[in-house]
Amino acid sequence: MDRERALHIYATMNRIRKFEERAVQLFEANKLRGSVHLYIGEEAIAATVCSLMTDQDYITSTHRGHGHAIAKGAMLDRALAELMGKSTGYCKGRGGSMHIADLEKGNLGANAIVGGGVPIAVGGALAQKMKGEKHFTVSFFGDGAANQGTVHESMNLASLWKLPIIFICENNGFAISVPTWQSTSVKDISVRAAGYDMPGETVDGNDVMAIDAAVERAKTRALNGEGPSFIECKTYRWKGHWTGDPETYRTREEVASWMERCPIKAFRAYLLNNGIAKEKELDDIEQAAAAEIEAATEFALNSPEPDPAQVMDDVFFVG
Amino acid sequence: MAEKVIMPKQGLQMTEGTITRWFVKEGGNCVSGQPLFEMETDKLVITIDANVTGKLLKILALEGSTVPITETIAIIGQEGEDTSALLAQEKPSQANTPAMMPVSASAQAAGLTPMPVAAPAGPVYATPRAKLRAEEKNLNVEQIPGSGPDGLIIERDVLAFIPQKATPLAKAIAQQEGVNVSDAVGSGAHGKVTRADVNALIAARKDTLNTRHGTLVPYEGKRKMIGDKMQESLRTHAQLSHQIKVDMSRAVELRESFKAADRKVSYNDFILMATARALMDFPAMNAELTDKGILQKDYVHLGMAVDVPSGLIVPVIRDADLMRLGEISACAAELADKAKNGKLLPTEYTGSSFTVTNLGMFGLECFVPILNTPESGILGVGKIEKQAVVINDEIVIRPMMCLTLTYDHRVTDGAPAAQFLARVKQYLENPFLLL
Amino acid sequence: MSIKTYAVAIRDTIAQEMRHDDKVFIMGEDIEVLGGIFGCTRDLAKEFGTERVRNTPITEATFVGAGVGAATAGMRPIVELMYMDFTYVAMDQILNQAAKIRYMFGGKAKVPLVIRGQQGIGRGNAGQHSQSVESLFMHIPGIKVACPSTPAEAAGLLRTAIRDDNPVLFLEHKALYSTKGEVPDDPEFAIPFGKAAIKKEGKDVTIVANLLYVSKALEAADILEKEGISAEVIDPLTLVPLDIDTIVKSVQKTGRLITVHEAHREGGWGAEIAAQVMERAFRYLDSPPIRLGAKQCTLPFNLGLENAVVPQVDQIVQAAKQSLYR
Repeated sequence: MDRERALHIYATMNRIRKFEERAVQLFEANKLRGSVHLYIGEEAIAATVCSLMTDQDYITSTHRGHGHAIAKGAMLDRALAELMGKSTGYCKGRGGSMHIADLEKGNLGANAIVGGGVPIAVGGALAQKMKGEKHFTVSFFGDGAANQGTVHESMNLASLWKLPIIFICENNGFAISVPTWQSTSVKDISVRAAGYDMPGETVDGNDVMAIDAAVERAKTRALNGEGPSFIECKTYRWKGHWTGDPETYRTREEVASWMERCPIKAFRAYLLNNGIAKEKELDDIEQAAAAEIEAATEFALNSPEPDPAQVMDDVFFVG
Repeated sequence: MAEKVIMPKQGLQMTEGTITRWFVKEGGNCVSGQPLFEMETDKLVITIDANVTGKLLKILALEGSTVPITETIAIIGQEGEDTSALLAQEKPSQANTPAMMPVSASAQAAGLTPMPVAAPAGPVYATPRAKLRAEEKNLNVEQIPGSGPDGLIIERDVLAFIPQKATPLAKAIAQQEGVNVSDAVGSGAHGKVTRADVNALIAARKDTLNTRHGTLVPYEGKRKMIGDKMQESLRTHAQLSHQIKVDMSRAVELRESFKAADRKVSYNDFILMATARALMDFPAMNAELTDKGILQKDYVHLGMAVDVPSGLIVPVIRDADLMRLGEISACAAELADKAKNGKLLPTEYTGSSFTVTNLGMFGLECFVPILNTPESGILGVGKIEKQAVVINDEIVIRPMMCLTLTYDHRVTDGAPAAQFLARVKQYLENPFLLL
Repeated sequence: MSIKTYAVAIRDTIAQEMRHDDKVFIMGEDIEVLGGIFGCTRDLAKEFGTERVRNTPITEATFVGAGVGAATAGMRPIVELMYMDFTYVAMDQILNQAAKIRYMFGGKAKVPLVIRGQQGIGRGNAGQHSQSVESLFMHIPGIKVACPSTPAEAAGLLRTAIRDDNPVLFLEHKALYSTKGEVPDDPEFAIPFGKAAIKKEGKDVTIVANLLYVSKALEAADILEKEGISAEVIDPLTLVPLDIDTIVKSVQKTGRLITVHEAHREGGWGAEIAAQVMERAFRYLDSPPIRLGAKQCTLPFNLGLENAVVPQVDQIVQAAKQSLYR
């Protein structure tokens, strides 16, 4: 991994972390409505995967999608404005937290139906293949979605048609309150890839370098026309499923043990220990992220509300 | 410039009126100040004069229609004037059922003799489209017989409708015999009703009368108003009655004295006068139970029940307590006359505080009246009759009269009521006290 | 002009559009070698290859979803469903995804997707292969719904559907596939969405029908004509967008409305039309609108039972007379 990309990943992780922390604050201050599903603790996955993608590569995302959107190039200010339902948000306030899309950056959209985005990713990859593009698609989904029929169907279809797609399963241990062991027939979800004749591997989802290596392999396969890959990233969400989750399904000790394995701290140590970056550089990156979220908050708070007169716009494209 | 004739509001409580008669027929001439139509409200029958001179271009509310106040009932203008603009302003009429049920077009076509049937209560239904078509043709949709389910007036009925035409002779006979030409089946050219058609109708009516099933009199309009009010009176008031006999000897003498002086005063005038005075002495009898309490009135508006052909009506002598006998007498005579001629103004038959009702002229000795709500007292007056009475242990012959007081026991008690009645008796037995 | 069947009109239009625009492709079950079970894709694979005429596994939710993704990513997919009953298998992708993507993402995405296939009675396919789904999809905003009743309309509306930048549900009727009619040869021949077709003019009663019921309504109109009742027959062609103006105008003229469809009567599109007509033309009505549609039971297999469930021509005649109080 080159130094520039490493620093970019570090910056992205910090930007996601600051964004999510601010989202909670704003929710608690009653400036946001709806569900806010936080990505804190899982930042390494989106930041690393998307660092290997261009704007012409597609992703589909999930209800826990802020991290994917930011890693794929979303501006914090417009993303935060969307969370606040403002007219300057990515979806003009029509989508909110669960539906941030940014087609210009190749983000085909966050999807609030569990497993709903995966067939769409297959379609994105199909389009790339049919157009003969040297691009690929990543479909992010969670351990809960891994049991949806559409995910299995999608793996079959993608493998059958040798589509340039990487299935990234973010296994954070819980589908709301249900632990993976209670919902899923296999210990490592990646073993299911074998059933669709594609490579599958399970990696530490809090380890940037491990994720990077697996995605590099999958990307090469995709761009060479060899078909899809499946990568399970084991991680943990620090916060509840939503803001206000009583979290009766897990212990404080369990959460604390995962917080000690913070992906940002771990990557910072890796960068310093391997002489890739200096303390000062990394501090500057963190401060830049802090400053960015301040400006973004200012922007979002001061942005106008959408005009109800336009509520019927865009139901259909009018050519 | 054509002008609308509206259903005029007569008195504060009037909300609608029923047209009982048009004195001028459609196409006839109206003269300002001359009778135009007669109508009936829940309180009275009144003749309304035209206030402009011109041709009666259009009658919108037929005889028997009940129309809310201020709604247009006719249009007066110049011969040949276009009334469509005025008519177009009219919202679909809310006028109520004419007295006779329309006869369906198919029944007419089948030559069936229409039977006079009492009108059902409730509105006449027409489809939206039928109303639209009627509006376009300047027809009152309610005068069109409906052939749809339950008499629903549908578009076809409107399109097929030809306003009923009759020969002058047919109209004259119909009026004389009291039948409605529109009930006749027209056998003349273009369905025109002829003398023969009206005669057939009259014959049919006679047949109907001969079947001895009784006559169905509609319980509506004034009859219903009176009936409902009487029932309401009995239902809501704690009514009971006292009776007392009055020796009218001195009243007879006094009346004779007036007569000798060429002044006409009736016994009823004495009774009215005596009642007005006694009411001032016993304000508890001149009272009304209201939401806020018992309102004892400081005036006497004395009602006097009068029987007129359309039913009972109670004209009011306002401020009777301030009147001298002669004034009461004159006022009572004038009101009775107006009532008989249907000329009472609304203020002349509303707002009474106590009522006197006299059935003595029918030979009744005594009778028990019921309260004229919201009043708390009513005095029933029987006939004056010579009777043998015992005075100072001697049997003598005196002109006696029985008074029956019905009062509301919620408002006052038996003893004060008895004292009031005794006071009326005292005034009548000593009529000079009234002078 | 050529005389074509409804099925061939569809096939030829797909072929013309695939020649016209190489972003157009079609995928679905049994379309490649078999040409679809009704022949609507016959021989297309020979001309365009199996990349653009793509057999799918039996995995409706996902191949419809792949259509949604490919459309969002710039292709113009046509997804064939073997039976429109299978839309229910793919409901999430059609209604939660395709219909919402543009609006929910702030108007930036386009989803030029056609989901097409046949529906309806006529072949004894019973409860899960005979349904009429159009009313259901009319309810959810974001997807257009087209229902052609003749070969020419099938061709003209399908071209408009393929060239539309929005998701379109294109509903064909299995009993119409073998019907023949004149179809313009012009490869640009298109029928705009949102314009109803007046199939027969009349002045006494308006009958609105679609798909198979257009011919049944016309049959009823012939019978009524002999009894002196002049019926106007209107086919809305597209339910979304709906040309209510043409229907309202007709009812203003006739004063009576009958809606008739094979879709279930309750909550059916006829009810929507009746309601809109009452809102907009109430004072022109001489009788309450009458809705005819399939009874509220699952479509049975037995022919006699099937006929007992869906409206018959004589019921349309009776309804028209009832509306005229005759």
